[in-house]
Amino acid sequence: MTEYAVSADKLTVGYKEPLISDICFNVKSGSIVVLIGPNGSGKSTILKTLSGYLKSLGGEIFFDGTNKKNVTLKEQAKLISVMLTEKISPELMTCSEVAESGRYPYTGYFGILSNEDKKAVNDAVKLVGAEDFIEKNFSEVSDGQKQRVLLARAICQQTKILILDEPTSYLDIHHKIILLEAMRKIADEKEAAIIVSMHEVELAEKIADYVICVKDGDIIYSGMPKEIFCEENICKLFDIPKNLYNKYYKSGG
Amino acid sequence: MNCRNKKYRYLLSFSLLGILTVIFFALNIRVGSTYISVSELIKILLSDNSDSSNASIILKIRIPRVMTAMLLGGALALSGYLLQTFFHNPIAGPFVLGVSSGAKLTVALVMIFSASRFFTISSAVMIMAAYAGSMLSLGIVLVLSQKVRQMSMLVVCGVMIGYICTAVTDLAVTFAEDSDIVNLHNWSRGTFSGAKAENVSVMAAFVLSALILTFFLSKPISAYQLGEGYAISSGVNVKLLRAALILLSGFLSACVTAFAGPVSFVGIAVPHLVKTLFGTSKPIILIPASFLGGGIFCMMCDMIARTAFSPTELSISTVTAIFGAPIVIILMLKRRKGDF
Repeated sequence: MTEYAVSADKLTVGYKEPLISDICFNVKSGSIVVLIGPNGSGKSTILKTLSGYLKSLGGEIFFDGTNKKNVTLKEQAKLISVMLTEKISPELMTCSEVAESGRYPYTGYFGILSNEDKKAVNDAVKLVGAEDFIEKNFSEVSDGQKQRVLLARAICQQTKILILDEPTSYLDIHHKIILLEAMRKIADEKEAAIIVSMHEVELAEKIADYVICVKDGDIIYSGMPKEIFCEENICKLFDIPKNLYNKYYKSGG
Repeated sequence: MNCRNKKYRYLLSFSLLGILTVIFFALNIRVGSTYISVSELIKILLSDNSDSSNASIILKIRIPRVMTAMLLGGALALSGYLLQTFFHNPIAGPFVLGVSSGAKLTVALVMIFSASRFFTISSAVMIMAAYAGSMLSLGIVLVLSQKVRQMSMLVVCGVMIGYICTAVTDLAVTFAEDSDIVNLHNWSRGTFSGAKAENVSVMAAFVLSALILTFFLSKPISAYQLGEGYAISSGVNVKLLRAALILLSGFLSACVTAFAGPVSFVGIAVPHLVKTLFGTSKPIILIPASFLGGGIFCMMCDMIARTAFSPTELSISTVTAIFGAPIVIILMLKRRKGDF
């Protein structure tokens, strides 16, 4: 078990009521696992439970072989970083201040950044290509730029595990690609395990090392992207009639 | 470059607040219905001779009063800042959420009870009574906030709680039969005039220790500004932090109400003005800055209350409302565009 960065063993998740039960998966360091499925299927619930925002309703979660129950909140902050779907609208905060907040677990009592912290932030900002607008106010930049800043925030937290909830939603294709490229780099260069949710099939196919399909509170398939992304599975996952899928999707996919 | 500019701005803004504090402190000692020349003032301040009537006006009335205004103004601004942090909304404050009125109610009840039993109560007991009342109101507001998601509606609820508490207070005052009622009546409208020199030291001890505790929370508060999810992922114990925010905020506003009665709108207006001045939302800057700003704001308002229609004295809330309420309206209009 110790060879996996994240393991879920018979995990049950949900808001008070169980939504999905018996979730089992393992994520290796340096790999990207994509949770895919329609909106409201339960992807976020799984991710929120992994990151500790929701309590698990049963089963076990292991980080680097250690049971999550034995990991304190502070230790976890150096182990896992997140990017959430909830929109944040901090007043009067610059993008760099938002990114810098990723260094929280490493700074001293008053949160003053050391040179090492500043370097980690700069590196992360460069990786996501946010140098040009990093001094602007967070509330003034576009959604795509905000997503990149939040990814930089997660990256500079320098954790071995990243949990990203729909990082590519609301972005145009250019920004989606920049974000995916950054994710690939972190997985490859920093040996990070990335668990990411999205609903864009065509992107998931390109980025994923492993795919978990979630629909209506159930994991309907999981496996390598090549095995998973066939016409039949996609149609079933998103409730698309086959003739329409062929008409609109096939040539692109 | 940008970073350096910011540091200059912080430095300049803090210097400005420092200078204003000194100016208003001095003005408040100097100005009043009794004329005291500058040379006499300096003589009084430098020597220990407090025999003359002018000396006692300065040392026993004006200095305790300006100290009260400064400390309690700071406490109010800080209390507002903490509530705004808690609700992630700039329109939260101890007065609009009914916290001040809750404290007023319990203090009035304790005052009436003690007066009818012919014993006087210490400052500490007054603060405790106010604290109980403010936590009661805050408790109701928190329960309501579970049901009412919109801040504007929560503020309406808070104002209603305030009215209920004020009504009960008035009722109690009407039926209480004692000469202390006159004093109570002044206090229940809000005034910094009641403070005696011995109260000031108690007040300072309570308010300054709350300020220091708040300052030590500036790091988790900064993480909390990005929302609960990100705060948890940074390793912040959010439940503990939220409890601390409420307890400290309630305590600070209880201190104010215990000594000065309810004072309106400072808690919303000052943090907003300070944020605009400093151009940042960093708690490590805003906590001390709000405290200083609140002190300045209240010293200014108290000076106007004392001198504008002298010898008639206005209640402090009359003046703070004139300056503070428009700022609240501006804030509401600004928020209207975005989500509430």
